[in-house]
Amino acid sequence: MAMRHLVTGQTSCPADGASSSNNPLNAFANALLGQSSKTPALKELPGSVSVPSISDFGTAAPLSTIPGSENEFKQDQRPLARGADFIREGPVNDWVESFRPPGVPEFGAAESRFAEFDQIYNNAGTTFGPPLDGPPQRVLSGVLHSFLASGRAGVPFQPVPVPALGLSESDKQCIRDRSCIMARHILADQPEEYIQAQVNTLLHSLDIDNRMRGPMHGQYPEMEEYWNQSQSSMGPASMHNASDKWITEFGNQNNNPESWAHSFEQQYGPNGWASEFEQHQSQMAMGQMGGANMANLAAMEQSRMLAQTLASNNDPKFQMSRGELIIEDNQVKQGSASQSNGWADEFQTQYNANANSWVDQFAHEELSQGADKWASEFSSEHHQGALNESWVDEFSKLNVTDEWAEEFSGGGFGESSADPWADEFQEQLSSFKQSSGASRGVYVFSEMNPYVGHPNPMQEGQELFRKGLLSEAVLALEAEVLKNPENAEGWRLLGVTHAENDDDQQAIAAMMNAQEANPTNLEVLLALGVSHTNELEQGEALRYLYRWLQNHPKYGGLAPPQSADSPYGPDVVRLFNEAAQMSPEDADVHIVLGVLYNLSREYDKAIASFKTALQFKPQDYSLWNKLGATQANSIQSADAILAYQKALDLKPNYVRAWANMGISYANQGLYEDSIRYYVRAVAMNPKADNAWQYLRISLGNASRADMIAACDARNLDALQKEFPL
Amino acid sequence: MDGSSLKSAQLLEQMRLHLATDAGKELTKKVGLVYQLNIAPKKLGVDEEIFVVDLKKGEVTKGPYQGKPDATFSFTDNDFLGIATGKTNPQIAFIRGAIKIKGSISAAQKFTPDIFPKPAKL
Repeated sequence: MAMRHLVTGQTSCPADGASSSNNPLNAFANALLGQSSKTPALKELPGSVSVPSISDFGTAAPLSTIPGSENEFKQDQRPLARGADFIREGPVNDWVESFRPPGVPEFGAAESRFAEFDQIYNNAGTTFGPPLDGPPQRVLSGVLHSFLASGRAGVPFQPVPVPALGLSESDKQCIRDRSCIMARHILADQPEEYIQAQVNTLLHSLDIDNRMRGPMHGQYPEMEEYWNQSQSSMGPASMHNASDKWITEFGNQNNNPESWAHSFEQQYGPNGWASEFEQHQSQMAMGQMGGANMANLAAMEQSRMLAQTLASNNDPKFQMSRGELIIEDNQVKQGSASQSNGWADEFQTQYNANANSWVDQFAHEELSQGADKWASEFSSEHHQGALNESWVDEFSKLNVTDEWAEEFSGGGFGESSADPWADEFQEQLSSFKQSSGASRGVYVFSEMNPYVGHPNPMQEGQELFRKGLLSEAVLALEAEVLKNPENAEGWRLLGVTHAENDDDQQAIAAMMNAQEANPTNLEVLLALGVSHTNELEQGEALRYLYRWLQNHPKYGGLAPPQSADSPYGPDVVRLFNEAAQMSPEDADVHIVLGVLYNLSREYDKAIASFKTALQFKPQDYSLWNKLGATQANSIQSADAILAYQKALDLKPNYVRAWANMGISYANQGLYEDSIRYYVRAVAMNPKADNAWQYLRISLGNASRADMIAACDARNLDALQKEFPL
Repeated sequence: MDGSSLKSAQLLEQMRLHLATDAGKELTKKVGLVYQLNIAPKKLGVDEEIFVVDLKKGEVTKGPYQGKPDATFSFTDNDFLGIATGKTNPQIAFIRGAIKIKGSISAAQKFTPDIFPKPAKL
């Protein structure tokens, strides 16, 4: 052990900037000593094996977890061959080879530490539990690999037929728990439903039922004891070599994360990282509940003060580490854009863990005195912490550090404490998550749906829609399309309902599904054109409206097929005008023209088109709303209100028209009035996020800051009582 | 605003019209500052289009401001829309590094969702 320390101690000070884990001597020593030293240690517990080697990794591993640092870069670029050759000559060769997962060519030198880990766990497996050796293990890792790969590539995991693996209950438990965590992690940007669906598919393939976590297994009391110690307050989970193996494989597949996995395991025990994630999960969940989270608020305050301190500190060390974090931060953002950037991508998913080890390292190296307190604050609130770093950086660029910080805390924005700020931050985080899913056109289903299992949800949905119970109709129609995903009409009506309910994102997602089921439905194409217009997405809108023309039985001949991909606005307008000349009494052509003129911001022409269409369809409430909205956008708010009123006379539960009413009043500076209409809109559809946002703005403008809390808490009772219509 | 494929351009066009209304004139009285907006289609700082929202004179124009604006903002198309419609809190966006600000901070603080008209939906 001592000799190993001596030898591996070198890793913390690589002489020529070579990657520390690339040190062949280290690999050799690990291979040799790791093997001989583990036998006694294993008599105890797997976790305890890692304890003596903290000194090996305590300094070296966290260093390499900072993305953008030299080490990482080299690891990514360096050919694996050298290390692999070396390790092949070591006595560990057979072990390593036997653990090479399918699809991964060779263990590189960087993986040598992992190889050691593997041995330990493998031995632990034979000592403590049924091993997953031989073909079943290969099969399992293959399945998990493809799950991970699909997660990263953003494609849904396809179920695969798997032969009976003979997994024990504890194996299953473990796989179930770990795959939930991993899936949340990898698919962090996906909606919860999607993640669950993915995990379910995986578990189903492995013949594991996805029931909730069972009671703790009592097979290994010692292990349980250690486990409880290592995570003090965490809930039950079990530890097994199959899933640890998975971590290892996951690491091997992506050069980078092994180092963080290592450092984590060193610090928190083999399952520490999982508990760490679980903590984050529960933290996030708590934050998203929107309740006053005192711990969060305190930490926010703390990090704000810290940021001030940092900003006024000229210590070059500080400046440097700040710079590093900024790079991290930038990479986080670019990660989603450039998928080819392997570690940036990886980093995005492993963001949480990295932030932690950074803090640890920071505490180690730079602030040995008194750093512990804020470091732990930081590690529990690393999201905010990291962001604060960039905030600090902004300060130094602006050269207005103190003034700004003071203004910020002093309530220069109209709110005098950090609390609403913290609240908003939480809200922001959750809304960010939501919108990233929805904006990709992924339909987000409601969680609790009483209509699932209804004998005829389609009919029920149509009925509810006719009655104007839009939110209720959404549920029934969701149940329908869950039952019959190919039902184009079900999807279409769902889309229409969402549009009337003032939710264009969901409307688009539903209409996309409708279009998939029936690519030529004119109503669907028009609805997609309108919704994209509302989202100010001109290119998309034009494409769908052009396709409307192409697929029209009468006017299809007008549209040359070659310009379907990127139609030119004025050309499309010309073609529709030709269509209008062909049949001047076709209201639909005038409607599309009205939308097109909205796109080109020729509002007078748009108004004329809608008015023409209304001559043929005077009972079409959505048409009245379109006229009103166009008038509002061209600053004829008084006229707009008349048109909206007409729409509401025809359909009293038309949420979109209520919200538009509010907008018209707000744009005229009549904030008190606008509030009443917004409140009506959100009371009818509490999921109308736009209306909530506008309501908040109007409350501020109307000097009704006293009601902003009720708005943030989405307290409809209080708002309706205060602002009756 | 013509010829711009930015989503923000649509909102700024509405802003231009809005400033001619009574509510818009009220706004110029209340704020009285000049903002320059550097809006990038996708990535901050890349292929920016420059607009000036002049709340002194009450106009919106394309191209850099002749003189020194009270504050200059750089953000992406989506982030600007998020701020203007109240979806994104400007402070949070700033903290996230999604906005870069040059100029007077007190002027920047008055750049809030309520100065922009809201687009109505068809």
